[in-house]
Amino acid sequence: MSASLAYLQVWQQLPEALRAQRDAVWRHFEQHGFPRVSEEDWRYTDLSALNDADYAADASVSITTPAALAGWQRLVFCNGERIEGAVQAPQATLADDGITALNAALCRDGLNLHVGRGQQSAPLHLLTLDSGRTMSHLRHRVVLEAGSEATLLIDTRGDDSATLTTSVLEVEIGANAHLRLLRIQDIGTSATDLSRTQIRVARDARVEYVGLDLGGALVRHDLNVQLAEPGAQAQVHGVFAPSGRSHVDTHTRILHQAPHTTSREIYRGLVGGRAHAVFNGRIVVEKAAQKTDSEQNLASLLLSPGAEINAKPELEIYADDVKCAHGATCGQLDDMAIYYLRSRGLDADTARNLLLFAFAHDVLAHVIDDAARQEMERRLASRLPGSAAYEGLMEGLIA
Amino acid sequence: MAATQQMQDLVKARKYEAGFITDVESESAPPGLSEETIRLISAKKNEPQWLLDFRLKAYRRWLKMTEPTWAHVHYPKIDYQAISYYSAPKSMKDRPKSLDEVDPKLLETYKKLGIPLREQEMLAGVAVDVVFDSVSVGTTFKATLAKAGVIFCSISEAVHEHPELVKKYLGSVVPFGDNYYAALNSAVFTDGSFVFVPKGTRCPMELSTYFRINERNTGQFERTIIICEEGASVSYLEGCTAPQRDENQLHAAVVELVALDDATIKYSTVQNWYPGDEEGRGGIYNFVTKRGDCRGKRAKISWTQVETGSAITWKYPSCILRGDDSVGEFYSVALTNNRQQADTGTKMIHVGKNTRSTIISKGISAGRGDQSYRGLVRILASAENARNYTQCDSLLIGAECGAHTFPYTEVRNKSARLEHEATTSKIGEDQLYYARQRGLSEEDAVSMIVNGFCKDVFKELPMEFAVEAQKLLQVSLEGAVG
Repeated sequence: MSASLAYLQVWQQLPEALRAQRDAVWRHFEQHGFPRVSEEDWRYTDLSALNDADYAADASVSITTPAALAGWQRLVFCNGERIEGAVQAPQATLADDGITALNAALCRDGLNLHVGRGQQSAPLHLLTLDSGRTMSHLRHRVVLEAGSEATLLIDTRGDDSATLTTSVLEVEIGANAHLRLLRIQDIGTSATDLSRTQIRVARDARVEYVGLDLGGALVRHDLNVQLAEPGAQAQVHGVFAPSGRSHVDTHTRILHQAPHTTSREIYRGLVGGRAHAVFNGRIVVEKAAQKTDSEQNLASLLLSPGAEINAKPELEIYADDVKCAHGATCGQLDDMAIYYLRSRGLDADTARNLLLFAFAHDVLAHVIDDAARQEMERRLASRLPGSAAYEGLMEGLIA
Repeated sequence: MAATQQMQDLVKARKYEAGFITDVESESAPPGLSEETIRLISAKKNEPQWLLDFRLKAYRRWLKMTEPTWAHVHYPKIDYQAISYYSAPKSMKDRPKSLDEVDPKLLETYKKLGIPLREQEMLAGVAVDVVFDSVSVGTTFKATLAKAGVIFCSISEAVHEHPELVKKYLGSVVPFGDNYYAALNSAVFTDGSFVFVPKGTRCPMELSTYFRINERNTGQFERTIIICEEGASVSYLEGCTAPQRDENQLHAAVVELVALDDATIKYSTVQNWYPGDEEGRGGIYNFVTKRGDCRGKRAKISWTQVETGSAITWKYPSCILRGDDSVGEFYSVALTNNRQQADTGTKMIHVGKNTRSTIISKGISAGRGDQSYRGLVRILASAENARNYTQCDSLLIGAECGAHTFPYTEVRNKSARLEHEATTSKIGEDQLYYARQRGLSEEDAVSMIVNGFCKDVFKELPMEFAVEAQKLLQVSLEGAVG
């Protein structure tokens, strides 16, 4: 086994009883290690550096906790441990590759949210802060019973240290229930974040996902949505805007398993600096899923000469009575549009940023909650070239 | 007896004329692949040492390679040691003596496609004069071509007549170790075409299989090289709309195209090999490597393919757009019916400035057919202002079939503009209803809608092929509806 001693050390520090319980998943990780670039799903993302990475068992935290969002409850994890809020950690069940197995073996905490039948839970802001040369592994589980409703924001931040974060979120959405799931991924420039989101949607239930991925040395998100029963719906939207030397890899898989299921997917990419963006959007329509209606749309802009994008919108269809379409484009900002804005008195940077912001807003406009949307807009604006002031942009938008 | 003797003499004479095989006795190497087999093939063909070295190098590389499994197709493992890698053309006595001896099913298909009787005989491999007719036609054509300075011959002949050209271009687009099947082909290829169009020459005729002088039984490992020098152009037609008699199960061809400054190559394929029966028994495995290299400025390579045959198709005609302002095109119609599987598409590698590529792919899946579009558009950092437009549409007929799209895009230059669009749908009930209400039968209506769906590709085919391709789709779709 080539994986570094760092993982073994953390494993050995776990209590004896826990280790006995998690023996199988640990052995799975030892056997398989991290996925390799020779695997089709990982051909653009190389994790080999993680094999001999070195992490301290503990590190002091240097990030200050940001102000809470108005009207939101909050739960804060720091380097894998809870520091604010009180919920019981879930059992780790999903472990089907090296990363989820490592996560299952080493996780110490996470969110376990259960919303009862017909209930509506307050919006929950789940904030993860990582700092120092350390690892954190979180395991979350969300269960929405029939007819219930919930809003959840998964927000990951970090400082400039080389942290490794893995997180697995398992979601069960019961019949006619409705989940709004938001993600902000904003870790430091040296940090690695590997996350998996696994969502099962039951009859007539709905998931609305909006994600914003801003960076990190290596970010990979696997978002799997299973439309398991008739009438299930998924909206999967996201923006990825890596800059500097970031590597951001998004893999979405929408699995239509039952008749009359619907999915909508919109992704916008803004790739700056020498960043490398990877997008793989897969839609599978199984034989039973007649009358599936699925649309996928990806548009990306390369903002600088060293930027790179690898995109693959896949369709895999085994049923005949379906409507499936996907489109993907890659290009650059329209000079005429910039000229138009400049002729209206905007300077070049503002004009450009305004257009970039509007481009990403195709996705962010789908966030219903005002506080959350503004937070996402603000974070995106701060990453635009020339670091445009968010307020200035909003003024521009209104004018 | 005398007649047979006469025929054999004629065959001997014909082969002599083509100039690459003098020994006509039906002769096959024992099944199996080893250095010995390769030396045998090379010796039989009286090849120079450098070609034998090329084959052996490829074979040694092939031994180290593993069979690719990434394609979205399923088939039992191929036993490469059970295949005979060299067989001389079948002697006339093994062939049917007249059309009466030919499988009536085959004849019925010919009739539906509207193929003239003489050509039917040729296609069914009937041992009559028509074969020799085609030789004589071929000879006339050859004279016209020679006058224009165009070289069009079998690759074996080219090895002897134009060794410097073959040596220069063989393996220059598809290297001997490019992929598993290309390596196999490089080791054991038996024949194929060689086309060389010199500087400033427009090839005076379309080079088509119908009158192909060099292509009886080229076997399963075909190697074709087409070179267009500066300002030259050629249109090459491969294959045939009619189902062809063929005993080989595995086909692993390699096609290499080279276009220099301002050259244009148009390569059209109609492939209709035996697809196997309704239950998927038998059928050809078609594992092909086709690649064009736009080496010069403003060069253009255009691939057009209509793929309706073969049990399994694994084929990605590609363009390397190396020269500035060069253009690559790919137009494809693929149809899978019954239990056919196809994994096909293209690769467009943009290297030069202002390079443009267009991909139009139409997939039709019926019965229990399964097909995938797999394409790659790669824009390298050097490819300023590259442009790509991709459209791939799939049409599903029947609840048991599958259609998949795997388009890869890799962009490393910010000035690039790429568009990719894909749709999947079935034939609309309302469209069918409308056509039937106008008095068309359901089958005719489907065929009409399918042909409309493929229009963008058919219009790229040479005229007479386009007409036949439409009929071919109609025939291939029989039984898929209703």
